[in-house]
Amino acid sequence: MSQLYNIIEPNVISEEMVQKAVEEQSQDEAGQLAKREGINFKDVTELQLSFRNILQIDNLWQFENLTKLQLDNNIIEKIEALESLVHLLWLDLSFNNIEVIEGLDTLVKLQDLSLYNNRISKIEHMDTLQDLQIFSIGKNNLATLEDVIYLRRFKNLRTLNLTGNPLCENEQYAPFTVAHLPELVYLDFKLVNDTMREAALLKYQYSTEPLKQVEALALAQQEEKQAELNELEYHKTAFVEYLNGSFLFESMYEEDAEAAKLAYLPGVDDLLQTYPSWFVSVCENLFNDGLQQYEKREAEVSDFYESLHEALTADQEQGRKIILEFENRNRRTLDEIQNVSSYDIAESKLAEYNEDILQLSETLMTLEMQTTSQLEELIKDFERNIAVLVSTFIENVQGMMAQCRDLENHHHEKLLEISVNTLEKSIKNELDKDLPDDVRMLFVDKNTIVDAVNASHNIHLVKIDSREGDILSNAHQWQASVTEKALQNEIDRNRNRVKEIIQYIDYLQEELENMETLELPE
Amino acid sequence: MEVLKENEEEEQREEEELKALEISGKQYDVGRKLSVDQACTPNDVPDFDWSSIDTSQLPSSYKTNSPEEKKLLCIADNFLQQYAHLCPDREPLLLHPVNECGVEKFVSTTVRPTLLPYTELYHWEGCASFVSDYLTMELLKSPIAPPSSLYSPTTILKYQRGNCFDFSVLLCSMLIGAGYDAYCVNGYATHNICTMDETLEVCPLLRKPQEVPKQEEKKSSKYRVKPPPDLQSKFELQQEAKKEAQEKKERKEEEKETEKPKRDPLYGLRVHAWVLVLSGKREVPETFFINPFTGNSHSTTDEQFLGIESVWNHRNYWVNMQDCWNGCKDLIFDLGDSVRWEFMLLETDKPRLLLPDVEEEEELFDRDMDNVEKEEEDRRFDMPPSWVAPIQISPREFETRSPQGRKVILYKKAKLEKWAPYLNRNGLIQRLTIYADSHYTKVVEVREWFKNREDKLEMREVNKQTQLITEHFCPGHLLGLKAHIYTSTEPETERTMEFYNEARVDGLQKRVENASEMSEYFVGRDDFLYFRHVEFGKRVKKIHMAGTRTDVNPRPIVQIKECFRRNLEKPADEDVAERIFLITEERINLTYHLNDKYITASKKNFFKGVERDRKGNEIIMTPEMCITYQVGSSEADKKLFHLHKLLQKLTEEEKQLKNEVWESATEVLEILKIREDEEADIKLTVSIYDTERNEKRRQEYEAMNNLMEDDLLGQEEQDLDYLAPFLIQICNIEKMSKWQALRIKEDCLTDFKHHLTHKANIIQAHLQKEVEELQKKDQWYQENQNQLSMEDEADFLAYCSETMFRIRVLALRLQREKQMAPQKYLALEEKLRKDPRLNMHLNHP
Repeated sequence: MSQLYNIIEPNVISEEMVQKAVEEQSQDEAGQLAKREGINFKDVTELQLSFRNILQIDNLWQFENLTKLQLDNNIIEKIEALESLVHLLWLDLSFNNIEVIEGLDTLVKLQDLSLYNNRISKIEHMDTLQDLQIFSIGKNNLATLEDVIYLRRFKNLRTLNLTGNPLCENEQYAPFTVAHLPELVYLDFKLVNDTMREAALLKYQYSTEPLKQVEALALAQQEEKQAELNELEYHKTAFVEYLNGSFLFESMYEEDAEAAKLAYLPGVDDLLQTYPSWFVSVCENLFNDGLQQYEKREAEVSDFYESLHEALTADQEQGRKIILEFENRNRRTLDEIQNVSSYDIAESKLAEYNEDILQLSETLMTLEMQTTSQLEELIKDFERNIAVLVSTFIENVQGMMAQCRDLENHHHEKLLEISVNTLEKSIKNELDKDLPDDVRMLFVDKNTIVDAVNASHNIHLVKIDSREGDILSNAHQWQASVTEKALQNEIDRNRNRVKEIIQYIDYLQEELENMETLELPE
Repeated sequence: MEVLKENEEEEQREEEELKALEISGKQYDVGRKLSVDQACTPNDVPDFDWSSIDTSQLPSSYKTNSPEEKKLLCIADNFLQQYAHLCPDREPLLLHPVNECGVEKFVSTTVRPTLLPYTELYHWEGCASFVSDYLTMELLKSPIAPPSSLYSPTTILKYQRGNCFDFSVLLCSMLIGAGYDAYCVNGYATHNICTMDETLEVCPLLRKPQEVPKQEEKKSSKYRVKPPPDLQSKFELQQEAKKEAQEKKERKEEEKETEKPKRDPLYGLRVHAWVLVLSGKREVPETFFINPFTGNSHSTTDEQFLGIESVWNHRNYWVNMQDCWNGCKDLIFDLGDSVRWEFMLLETDKPRLLLPDVEEEEELFDRDMDNVEKEEEDRRFDMPPSWVAPIQISPREFETRSPQGRKVILYKKAKLEKWAPYLNRNGLIQRLTIYADSHYTKVVEVREWFKNREDKLEMREVNKQTQLITEHFCPGHLLGLKAHIYTSTEPETERTMEFYNEARVDGLQKRVENASEMSEYFVGRDDFLYFRHVEFGKRVKKIHMAGTRTDVNPRPIVQIKECFRRNLEKPADEDVAERIFLITEERINLTYHLNDKYITASKKNFFKGVERDRKGNEIIMTPEMCITYQVGSSEADKKLFHLHKLLQKLTEEEKQLKNEVWESATEVLEILKIREDEEADIKLTVSIYDTERNEKRRQEYEAMNNLMEDDLLGQEEQDLDYLAPFLIQICNIEKMSKWQALRIKEDCLTDFKHHLTHKANIIQAHLQKEVEELQKKDQWYQENQNQLSMEDEADFLAYCSETMFRIRVLALRLQREKQMAPQKYLALEEKLRKDPRLNMHLNHP
């Protein structure tokens, strides 16, 4: 036995081997054709590489559209080099020497996976295979029953094969598996009947229940998170993220060390009670206005695209009509030319047909010119309207931001006043005893306290400015991208159309020429 | 101009009135003259001698007057005298004509409100059409005076004929019975209405449904593509439009000319009776008239109704005091208004237009009325109950409708015939014949409606000019046949068959055929096929063997064309839009769907077997065998390998297609055969609920009934043991003391009492809930009345009627429950007293 094993030469998948395997697959006349003109690996959807003593997987990256791959009965030790086969539905790796499940993360469409008769001891690294329906991992080294719980994440898993693993010796194996995978239809090639499932569910009710709860909780959390993210995304597209609340205000005070100290001054408390609420209400106004403006912009854009679509459909219909008319007119012409007896008549008909083709080209091009000019006008309108919308938005933002700044200035003045008063008090030694030392330090002289207040004020203003700058730059960027996109689309469309017309005319003329070459020898 | 016309009319009316006065002395003469006139017009109803009817079987109320009725007649006479005194120039009222037994009866008592047990007759449309169908119309003896006699509705129903007054009284009785606020009207109408002449009316079956103007919601978007300049002459277009309008106008005028009715010398004098239905009850939104002859409803402003003398229902009699110079257009139907409507009997529950917010006023009004009433105590008098026996219509009569089950109505250029179901052996129930002229000579089209046919034939249209026959079928015909349009039943001629595509596996909707072509239309197929067109060639002449039929030698197929809808799962240039199999040329042309924004479609043209024939050995595939035009890419990058695969698939499909075409052809033959068989032996189906016709079913039913009765008897014998739950409490029945027995009896009875009250309470609760909900809804309606759309209002009305119905049912149930409870209780007590188990303990202490 060991001798036999030694004789066999281990292989690596080589280009040659693949080529051969592909050719072997098509034996009939189509295969001959294929052989003759060569096969593009991109077009191959199925590949069988069984019983080839393969040790290492390689050279499969070209088979982008592969849906079925058989690598069974080889001596593969590691799953690798399958990353590019993203369309794979069926992967057979049975009867190999694989020890670890890995390298399957990109195969998200996989439905059927067979790892039968390998040396795997743990089910892992399969989280992305959400479409998995059939999973065969019998005759491996799976020992712990709890591994089955891992399979709960595959919502579509219906068929599972685990026979021949050490864990199957546990007499609780079957009910445990059925209870934890309630959607399972076939286990180890046998139908899971209702009585069995009910009994199992009842038995493991207490162990599955918490699992379920945890899963439900996780799901709910994820959904919530997703919803939040969506909301934020929505706000971002409206350029007013984090403005529905006190985020901006808080960020203003975040890096402001002085403000915390100043807060201890008598009278600042009152000031700090009203100031945030005003500030936040201005922010909220800005936020709501931003959302409204966003809706308006969206409506404008969709309005434009709707009209554009309408115009394009009309244009398409018109072009189609012209072509259909042409085709109907000339459907029989070619036949007639072929059957005409005299050479002269054939010649004249050909000329006529040629003329007609040119005429068609002319008509189509004219139509295209007309459409282009129409659409250009449309896009110009659109650009103008978008510009108006963006500028209104910006004006609003600037207005609101000015309000914010006014509030800040007001606050600053008040603060300064209090500070000066307090300084006077401190000079007169009337200051409260319970002020912290670092606050006391501010009142060494007038400059220190004024500097501190000014610094705090400056930080706040910078924050407001930068936020405003962000909004403005985002809005401008959006404006540019939207108009650019519309323009680019139109240019692409125009090029495509012209290309199409030329190609079609070429095709017609070629057809005609073929006719002539056929005609002439006779 | 208008005013002038009105003046003219007024003058004319005055003239006629004068004339009428003149004539009134010689009324009889006019009547006779007119009847001579009528004799000239075709009248297929033979005269009927009313004097010969048998009155001996009639109940005594028909032959005598009760004291109340006598008193009523006195009051009526008094009323008439006053009326004649006050309005000397008006026609005498129709108050108490004689009935079939020669007894004078007041008109209101002739109305006998009855609700008949047919769902159809719960609505006014059903009642009106029943009356118009069931009775044969008779003209008034004198067209300008109300009749001197008015027979009971029962007699009218028995002999199935009557004049407009008889029609109205019967219809009114049924409508009031069904809850409508209906009145008989004595008034004046046009000649056409009075004589049931509908020859100027378009047949209701031919009326085109009013086209609902499609609301095209074109958003006026800012972005509009500017249209290319229009180079057509506006002036020419205008001229053309003008010309057309002119022509149209002329044509219309011509038509009008011919259609104008003849001038009627008795216009405005012809007496007619019809039914008035006031709004309010039964959710009637607007007051309207019903012409009892036709069963049609008319608006109160209809020009054909020229005036009203008086109206009455089963409670009272009102005389119209309003001027009718402008027909009935300006009349106000508020019968509570004593200035406009002079009532005869004073009543507390005056019918009036229901105005929900005048309740308070009403109370005041009532109080006033009380005073008045006291003064006029002697005049206060309730209408005695009707002397007429209850109206009864048997199911058979109800179904048969018209006398002899047949009825003919002439409309403008059309004749409508109706039959009762099952009267004709072929299930014919209605036939409409459309003529080209108004003299009913040149038939244009015949439409026949059928019912209860086993072959599901519903309607057949025969166009006499083109000989085109169209048959419509109900769902359920073999092979899902829906309609069949043909001229001859020979195979391979021109025909169209429509199918219920939902009922067919292949989704076939229509198949159009003629000698050399066949087109099939499909709906809702998985392969997106929606159209298939087959061209056949000339049949190759073969030596006809004896007994071969046409379908043995199918026509050779020249070309098959199939069109597919877009399958959005595939990219457009891989999704075939049209494929043509040119079978004789061995070619296959494929055209793909249009890609987004492209105007040319990809194409593939295959030439099969070009090479194969020339050489002996087969060449699988060469580039010449396929010409490809691929949109969007200049080089044909598809390899021959794929083309070959495609070709193989297409060849396979071609084979299948040929088979399918052959099957289609066979199916046509099969349908034709089936239709032929069906027409040769028409069978009618009988509903299993129709015990009268379905003999077998009736026997079964009776057998079952007997069985049921047996069962019921058996059940009653082994009745529920009322005492069981109570006896169980006592361990030893034998040793029960008298006291225990008494207690058991008491317990049992109280329990039963509880049960009964509980049941009543449940019903009561339901009732209350319904009432409350209705009130709530009503309140809501009152508040929001102004803002409601028509739909909401309709919804509300529907809801109200439904709830009212439920409330009525619940009230009835509650009442019955209350009535029955004591009886049930007593019955149980009796039973317990006789129960042997308690008996021995109770009686023998």
